Amino acid sequence: MSHHILIVDDEAEIRQLLEQFLSISGYRIATVATAREALAHAAATPPDLVISDLQLEESDGLDLIAKLKAAQPGLPVILLTSVLFDRQTVEENLSKRVSAYLPKTTPLNQLLAEIQRLLAAGK
Amino acid sequence: MLALFALVTVVLVAVAVHAVRQLNRTVTASDWVNRTHALINELEGIAAATQSAEGSLRIYALTRDPRDLAAGRRSQVRLADHLEVAGALARDQAETARQVARLATLAESRSAFARELGSAPPESLATLFAVDAANTAVEELLRLVERLVTEQMNLLALRDQESFLQAQATRWTIGLGVAINFLLLAAGAWLIRDDILMRRRAADAMAAANAQLESRVQARTAELSAANDRLNLENLERRWANQALEHQLRYNHLIINSITDLVFVITKVANISRINPAVEHDTGWLAKDLINRPLPELVRLTAGDLPLQRGLKEGHDLRDLPATLLRSEGGEIPVRFTFYPLRDGNNVVGGVVILNRATA
Repeated sequence: MSHHILIVDDEAEIRQLLEQFLSISGYRIATVATAREALAHAAATPPDLVISDLQLEESDGLDLIAKLKAAQPGLPVILLTSVLFDRQTVEENLSKRVSAYLPKTTPLNQLLAEIQRLLAAGK
Repeated sequence: MLALFALVTVVLVAVAVHAVRQLNRTVTASDWVNRTHALINELEGIAAATQSAEGSLRIYALTRDPRDLAAGRRSQVRLADHLEVAGALARDQAETARQVARLATLAESRSAFARELGSAPPESLATLFAVDAANTAVEELLRLVERLVTEQMNLLALRDQESFLQAQATRWTIGLGVAINFLLLAAGAWLIRDDILMRRRAADAMAAANAQLESRVQARTAELSAANDRLNLENLERRWANQALEHQLRYNHLIINSITDLVFVITKVANISRINPAVEHDTGWLAKDLINRPLPELVRLTAGDLPLQRGLKEGHDLRDLPATLLRSEGGEIPVRFTFYPLRDGNNVVGGVVILNRATA
């Protein structure tokens, strides 16, 4: 059974690109545009990993991640955003709240490697 | 294979034709044998009737009893019947027919003698018998009958031998034909077996070739599929990189454009390279009119151009300095001037100027 990944991003093209790429890589993918949809989907079908944007239409990614982790502790989450954080912020702040932080300029194969690492660590 | 079956058919037809011919000959020979036996019977009947008739006439010569003469005449009638049948049976054999005719002549002479006895006065009978004693017709008739019987028996024996040889030849012919056909059919079966084996081998070879081809097609399909997946991934990577760049640029624009203060991005020599929408809104200038124009033509620091030149050169901030902003339709607006140098590593490559309206 392949792993189930939930993608949360308000931009349709990003959702589509990630879905295509990760489907080819053998994962079961679900995509949603808002935090509300993400929470509903996670409640119905708990994902093995979540990839979330920071800036969402009705909420922000970190708030969503906190809610998802409250419902499913230990859930690996990747924050994938256009907002660039400096290393210190990532290490001292974000690393406590997300499993990994990746800017959206990160190449897809690097994103895939991070997903594989997190899923392997969660076994 | 076709030639083999044609040969089998020819042999079969030849054997059948030969057998039919032999059958016809056998039927003909059988008819001849039956007729010859009948002729022999009739000849023996002739001899018996002659002897019976002559015996009755001899008895009549002693007894003078007319009943003996009548018995002799009846025997001669049977003799005539036998002669008629024998003549009919011998009509196809000229020599035999001629001899049967001779027998008829001799028999007729004996009939004439009997008739003469019947009509002669009793006192002359002794004379007639005396004269007849010298007659050799009966002996000749019996000898002739015996010779004819012997001849017919010899012919029968010869014909029996011929029939035996003919039957033997027929048996050999049919046996040989059956043997040849059996051999030919065995050869045909062998050839068919060879043909089936060859076809089976060909079918196996074709199946193997098909399997190999199928395997190659599958391998090639897998290669193409893998290549297609690689292309798809490369395409996705390219699209991802493009959207990331575009997204980043849009995000940067969004940050600057969302600021309600007037923002100018300038080059190292203070030429305007970018403005935010608030500049167009508050000054009436369009971006196309301002790009690449020196900032001092539009914004004048009360303290003169020097502080900005030094800020660009030395890379330090200027904060909240008094200045005026030239509007497009003329007139000036008092503003507060703030400058932040843009650094790329250790180099100052330009700066960002932020103007906010001076409060009274």
